[in-house]
Amino acid sequence: MFFVKVLEHRIHLHPSFFGAQASDYILDQLYRDREGSNTGTMMIVAIIDVDDISEPKIVPGSGYAEYDVSYRAIVWRPFRGEVVDGLVSSVVNNGFFVDVGGLSVFVSKAMIPPQLKYTVEGATPSFTDGVDQTVERGSQVRLRIKGIRGEMGQMFAIGSIREDYLGPLLQ
Amino acid sequence: MASILDQDFPDEEEDDFNPAPEVGSDDEADEKPAANDDDDEDEPPARSERSRSRPQRDADDDAKDELGTEGLIGFGRDEDAEGEGRNLDDEDDEEDEEDEEDEQDDDLEGQPSRKRRKQHRRNQFIDVEAEVDEEDEEEPEEDDDLPGEEMHPDDLQELPPGADRDDRKHRELDRQREAQFQMDVEEEAARLKERYGRQSRATGTGSAIVPQRLLLPTTEDPRIFRMKCRPGKEKEVIISIQGRVNERLGSREPVRIYSAFERAKPGSPMSGMIYVEASRVEDVIAACEGITHVFMGTKPLMVPLEEMPDLLKVTKEKQLEPGMYVRIRRGLYSGDLAAVHEVEANGTEVILRIVPRLDYGLNEDVNGPMEAANGQKRKRPLVQRPPARLFSETEAKKRHGKYLSKQGGLSGSNWTYQNKEYIDGFLLEPFRLNALQTEDVNPTLEEVTKFATSSTDDGAENLDLAALAATLKTSTANEFLPGDKVEVFRGEQKGVTGHSVQVYGDVVKVKVDPGNGALSGGHIEAPIRDLRKLFREGDHVKVIGGSKYTDEVGMVVRTKDDRVTLLTDSNQSEITVFSKDLREATDSGGAAADSKFDLFDLVQLDAATVGCVIKVDRESLRILDQNSSVRTMLPSNISNKIEKRRNAVATDRDGNEMKSDDTIKEYSGEQKSGRVLHLHRNFVFAQTRERAENAGVWVSRHANVQVVAAKGGKAASGGVDLTKMNPALKQNGASPSPMPPPQAKGRDRLIGKSVKIRTGPNKGMIGLVKDASPDEAKVELHAKNKTLTMKKDMLTLIDPNTGNAIPDGIRSLAMGRPPPAGAGRTPAYAAGGGGRTPAYAMPSGGRTPAYAAGGGGRTPAWKQDAGARTPAYGGGTTYGGGGLGGQTAYGGATSYSGATSYGGGSVWGGGGGGGGPGGQSTWNPNMGGRTPAPSGSKTPAYGGMEAPTPGFNSAPTPGSYQDQPTPGGFRDQPTPGGFRGGNYQTPGSYQTPGGFPETPGPYSAETPGGDDGPRYD
Repeated sequence: MFFVKVLEHRIHLHPSFFGAQASDYILDQLYRDREGSNTGTMMIVAIIDVDDISEPKIVPGSGYAEYDVSYRAIVWRPFRGEVVDGLVSSVVNNGFFVDVGGLSVFVSKAMIPPQLKYTVEGATPSFTDGVDQTVERGSQVRLRIKGIRGEMGQMFAIGSIREDYLGPLLQ
Repeated sequence: MASILDQDFPDEEEDDFNPAPEVGSDDEADEKPAANDDDDEDEPPARSERSRSRPQRDADDDAKDELGTEGLIGFGRDEDAEGEGRNLDDEDDEEDEEDEEDEQDDDLEGQPSRKRRKQHRRNQFIDVEAEVDEEDEEEPEEDDDLPGEEMHPDDLQELPPGADRDDRKHRELDRQREAQFQMDVEEEAARLKERYGRQSRATGTGSAIVPQRLLLPTTEDPRIFRMKCRPGKEKEVIISIQGRVNERLGSREPVRIYSAFERAKPGSPMSGMIYVEASRVEDVIAACEGITHVFMGTKPLMVPLEEMPDLLKVTKEKQLEPGMYVRIRRGLYSGDLAAVHEVEANGTEVILRIVPRLDYGLNEDVNGPMEAANGQKRKRPLVQRPPARLFSETEAKKRHGKYLSKQGGLSGSNWTYQNKEYIDGFLLEPFRLNALQTEDVNPTLEEVTKFATSSTDDGAENLDLAALAATLKTSTANEFLPGDKVEVFRGEQKGVTGHSVQVYGDVVKVKVDPGNGALSGGHIEAPIRDLRKLFREGDHVKVIGGSKYTDEVGMVVRTKDDRVTLLTDSNQSEITVFSKDLREATDSGGAAADSKFDLFDLVQLDAATVGCVIKVDRESLRILDQNSSVRTMLPSNISNKIEKRRNAVATDRDGNEMKSDDTIKEYSGEQKSGRVLHLHRNFVFAQTRERAENAGVWVSRHANVQVVAAKGGKAASGGVDLTKMNPALKQNGASPSPMPPPQAKGRDRLIGKSVKIRTGPNKGMIGLVKDASPDEAKVELHAKNKTLTMKKDMLTLIDPNTGNAIPDGIRSLAMGRPPPAGAGRTPAYAAGGGGRTPAYAMPSGGRTPAYAAGGGGRTPAWKQDAGARTPAYGGGTTYGGGGLGGQTAYGGATSYSGATSYGGGSVWGGGGGGGGPGGQSTWNPNMGGRTPAPSGSKTPAYGGMEAPTPGFNSAPTPGSYQDQPTPGGFRDQPTPGGFRGGNYQTPGSYQTPGGFPETPGPYSAETPGGDDGPRYD
């Protein structure tokens, strides 16, 4: 789900950057650092605006200036039980991986309806029921997130398509 | 514990003695009639048994007679006490009366008889059901009129003197009972309480407590004697004694023992002993004499009085039931899990279902020596036991068809192979109990599934969970912790879920989750065996024990009964474990925190090999080495861990910068992609989550990958690093220091080369280098049998064939270049100066020399071999020179012209004049690389045109330089010399090129001239 959230970020500036442009540097750095990053629970999609750049403080002993920047950002946070759409990034024999934005979701074989069977045609593995549903690399899939695990900088989840209205989307 | 011996036990006493409920309840009294009706049906057979046993009675044994006459007392017969008790109770008119009477008498006197005491002693070990008691009181009611009626006339005859006393007592008893019957219920209850209250201590239901010491045996009780027997045969012996007792029941010499039992357990100190309860030693001997496996040699040992109770302590023993799992202790299958298929009636043998380990004769030495005498096979040590696999008749047919036969024929899966029975692929084999381990079996899921899967046709798993639970029951004690999510999976509260709040003993207090109806929010208590931990899909769990997956962390993808499948965090593989082995994980750590290596660490395997850890087990590591092979190693076998160099940089195939964490893609092959984990030397280790094998890690060479997206991209492409010095402010920083010359690595290349000593007392001597250090070398002299250690700079490398010194050869060797190539290379160097210029020079001088070339053209050809090389050397030397050296290389080419071109030398001078001398020279060298060949034959064209050729161009770039080193190619080229010879004439244009040979000419003339010249001549 998407949210607008007020966040803070702390940036250190080398004394050699001190000057009129310092705040530009800070802003640049903020966008570079945070946009598209992943905190382990959510992903910062875009920074809407910067509320405030604090007065810099000189860090004793190093001479660096420390800025606290508070900004508003659109974040995406997946929830357990949420139904999301994603793109299949790879298919292996015990399930498949789906990219949902920056979140990699694994759908285990146990969470795939039994009529979808693992088949390998040529070099493209897929889960298919042989009629109209096929999950292969690149297919769009709707799934329910069953569990999420976050590490600093990345998130993983497992999902299920073993429910009504879930599974490959017909293109 | 003891064997269950006889149906005929005088259990009546115990039943009679069963404590009455503390409050003699009306309900129970009401129920009695019904019970009696049931019991009546059982009477006749019981009666006949009774009557048969009667004659044995020994009246002398007054109080104990019923024990003695029955011969044997088994312990632990609680299970049949009830039923038996009924029968007996119903017929109290018979022999029971005497007991009753005795008891009554005792009661009246207020002092327990010996018999009673004895009874207590036994009873304290017996868990008698309380319900039985109800029937105690029913007897009088119906049986009043039957005293002695059922007694067989024969029995009466056989009654020993004093037996008539029994009759009297019977009648007395009857009268008493009649009177009793009149009493009102309350009174009776009170009386019963008084009468049986003592018993209650044994069963724990009564309130009156009899001091333990009163229950202990006294000197007047029968004694227990120990007999030795063959270990492992205890049960058999007991059964034989039982048989003997039965056999002599009606004879003149009944076996006068009260009981016999054994306490043997495999491996316990009690094995090899049986115990017999009797009044006299002679009775014991009479009972045991002639029974196989009893060692009559050792005299019966009387067990001291105070030790007798200990002997009878009940230890609860697990009864084997079909379906349970055991482990085999010995033999081929030692350590293997087996399922109990059937328990033999005698309890000493079970038939086990085993996953067979068969090699089907594969390892059989067909021609192996047979002991001719007895036809027995030579005994071989068990080489290696075959893996456990289900029986396959096709395998067996291959080599052992003769041993194979089909059984039954209905199911088609019953086979006999080498006299053993195989059903559904399992081996059915009888085992003695003492060859089995029944405690602490701890079957792992992997083992259990072997038994589970194959037994159904559809391949669906059908684990015998109940059996498994029975096997595992013991180990579940500390399974639950407060806070665990649990589910009741059987019993009337089945399906209730909640959180455990408190665990005490075998009971867990559970706070019921909302959504469980009326129970929601309340607390219930449930026994551990009815509970299992509950996990939901998506839960993050850690394996805490019970399998090889201990410490794995992952997310639950499926739960079925108590089996949970999870997807491991470490390598995205699915594993299935029991829910009891799981716990909710708080940390996301991988496995084995105690290993000093972590997943994805780069480790040094040996001097030349590195690898990336792809799996950390408790004991071992799995490592993907730089050659893409996977090995399993012990942490101790790894020399060290290579710390990750975060700022390591390499170039990819396209020359782009590649750093840690960049996303790369394989250029060829499977086009795997991944994130760079490590850059090491020539190799890049990358990891992707999309691949399951090797934890997603793969390895490739730098030159075989392309950077898809630089992760550091932001830092690199984006702006500056604000935490470092502002680059804009940096004053034209110090230019990077020039690349240091490459260091020689590995074995010193000087070793094995011929050298000449330049100075010192041994000056001029020639020898072979046997060993070398960075600045010294051991030289074995050709002339004397002597090995000298010399400074390297006192040596000159020489050509072993010609003896020519190779100036600077040692240094170039040290630089890691093979000296012959030196010529080839040098030019390259020189080339740096001005690859092109020479082209100029070429034409200019080109012609003049043509002549010379023409003249010499041939000569060299035949000289090819010798000449070709030597000059090359010369080249090497020159090279040392530097810019000029470049030419020399060329000189190499010249070499052949060497002969010819002497005159050429002058020409060269011309050439030199033509362009910047450096330039030309440089150029030539390049040619040197290639030219030699062409020079002879083609050169003409060459000389003019070729100059610009790519070969040239590449020359300057160090890269090409590197390529060239391959001396092979270089060397090969001389061959064209031969070619040259052939073609040589063809080209009319020939002259033009002449310039070529010419150039070289100059070279050799010029620099090396000094050295080489003489040789040629």
